[in-house]
Amino acid sequence: MNLLVFTKRVPATQEEELRIVDEGRGVDLSKVPFKVNDWDNYAVEEAVRIVEKTGGTVTAISMGDAESDEVLRRAIAMGAKDGFLIETDQILHDPGARATVIQNFLKKESVPFDAIFTGVQSEDDQFGAVGGILAAKLGLPFVSMVIGIDAFESDHIIARRELEGGLQEKVKIMLPGVISIQTGINEPRYVSIMGVRKASKVERKIFKGKEYDDNVNSTIELVKWAYPVRKGEATMLNGELDGICKELLGILKEKGVYQ
Amino acid sequence: MSYTLVAAEVRRGVFEERNLDSIGIAALLQKDIVLLVPEGAYEIKGNFVNIIIKTAVNEEIFLNPLNFITILEKIMNSRGKPDVIVFTHSSSGTELASYVAGHFNMPLVTDVSGFDKETNVFYKSYYSDKIFGEFRQAGNGPCVVTVRSGSFKEHVIEKGPVETAALEDFALAEGRTFIEYVEEEKGDVDITKAEFLLSVGRGIGNKDEIADYQELAGFLRATLSGSRPVIDKMWLPKAQQVGTSGKTVKPKVYLAMGISGAFQHIAGMKDSDCIIAVNKDPEAPIFQYAHYGIIGDANKLRDKLKDIVKG
Repeated sequence: MNLLVFTKRVPATQEEELRIVDEGRGVDLSKVPFKVNDWDNYAVEEAVRIVEKTGGTVTAISMGDAESDEVLRRAIAMGAKDGFLIETDQILHDPGARATVIQNFLKKESVPFDAIFTGVQSEDDQFGAVGGILAAKLGLPFVSMVIGIDAFESDHIIARRELEGGLQEKVKIMLPGVISIQTGINEPRYVSIMGVRKASKVERKIFKGKEYDDNVNSTIELVKWAYPVRKGEATMLNGELDGICKELLGILKEKGVYQ
Repeated sequence: MSYTLVAAEVRRGVFEERNLDSIGIAALLQKDIVLLVPEGAYEIKGNFVNIIIKTAVNEEIFLNPLNFITILEKIMNSRGKPDVIVFTHSSSGTELASYVAGHFNMPLVTDVSGFDKETNVFYKSYYSDKIFGEFRQAGNGPCVVTVRSGSFKEHVIEKGPVETAALEDFALAEGRTFIEYVEEEKGDVDITKAEFLLSVGRGIGNKDEIADYQELAGFLRATLSGSRPVIDKMWLPKAQQVGTSGKTVKPKVYLAMGISGAFQHIAGMKDSDCIIAVNKDPEAPIFQYAHYGIIGDANKLRDKLKDIVKG
């Protein structure tokens, strides 16, 4: 089995204050730390677990600037055999354009694969679309929101997709195919800094993104960035911790859930 | 004919409530609305669309992206291309939308929560709702969108008598087939029955903190629940997850500690009588939905609360 897994380096914006700059045309991420996309971490782990059982190799692929090498080293530390970087400084907001670059890359470099793994979505743009678009462009079966893989055979897999409200849908997908992984499918292994450092010794191949830009046209245009429209305001409890706690307990009493 | 095509989501014989958001954005687009549905004995309340096309396949076949492109092709051959194709922003809606956009090379904007009629701009969440991108279609052909539940249903309008049409006779895909539905295991705790939920999120830091929250919940007679990251990391069982992929809850008090408030989480708890949110990040979206907010470290607040209530 040759499994490809896509992994992306994303800004960790959870606890950061984000500023719109350049008259709405940019978001300032210069002070924001970067990390591996959470969904991709689960996808790498799942692909590695499969080849550990069935044999074969995992190749990690990332599209992004030179810094994205970091997530390839991380994937190698987790068990990927090697890593490919499709290097580009260009930010393609359109998932269709990104999928086209990937499609061109796979074709031009004749990358062999039995299955392609992606995360369901990336934390920054939350499009959740590159996997599906890529599958359709390649004419391959697609399954997303995968929360369990019950069987992985040479020509098919049996996967469980997460629906809403605790319901799952079990489906059979013929291979080769594209499989988008949901968080929580597994417990990704711990990766130490030493492990990532050791992975630097494994060769990562760098490919220039502009070699693969045939037919890459943006089908959507970003007009500008905007702050969210505030839906409502909470009454904030301020002051010393002790006072806040007493006020909070007062609210719980008033609502009748605490005596 | 210029029209908006809405792909309905039907699961286990239920016409999902979130379809109204798809119909709502279609109403804003001011074209005839064509609703595409699978077979089934479900009921569609209200006459909110112009035409309903009943596809002669069950919901499992209909919601399979490999079949859906065949269904769509057939519709476009007979009726011409729609201007916009609308899906729900759900597990199946996003799966279908991306496959359709890729197959037909159509523009796609997902997780749309706003639309400006004057400028034809779709609003889409970035960075967990901290920033929104305003997108416009640039390429040819129908624009494909998935819409966030709860965003557009108030725009639904009564259309009068609904015309119906049938669509049948297409080859089914072999690359992907439905096997069965699987229900998640029932847990020991039923969080949907609790009057007071103490809910924890990623912000509490790590698994070792859970025991202290459990203890606090005991003192307060609250039931412990969690957001998606907490369940993904296996700090709490899946049955205790609040959100669209877990449980929808409406307790008297929902005390959210270290939860930033992804929309999937908000959708599962926004109807609680009283929401109290504790988070380090003043920009966390949950503060927009909370009645009371505390900016600070959840664990410190927990320890202080425990000191007060146990004594």
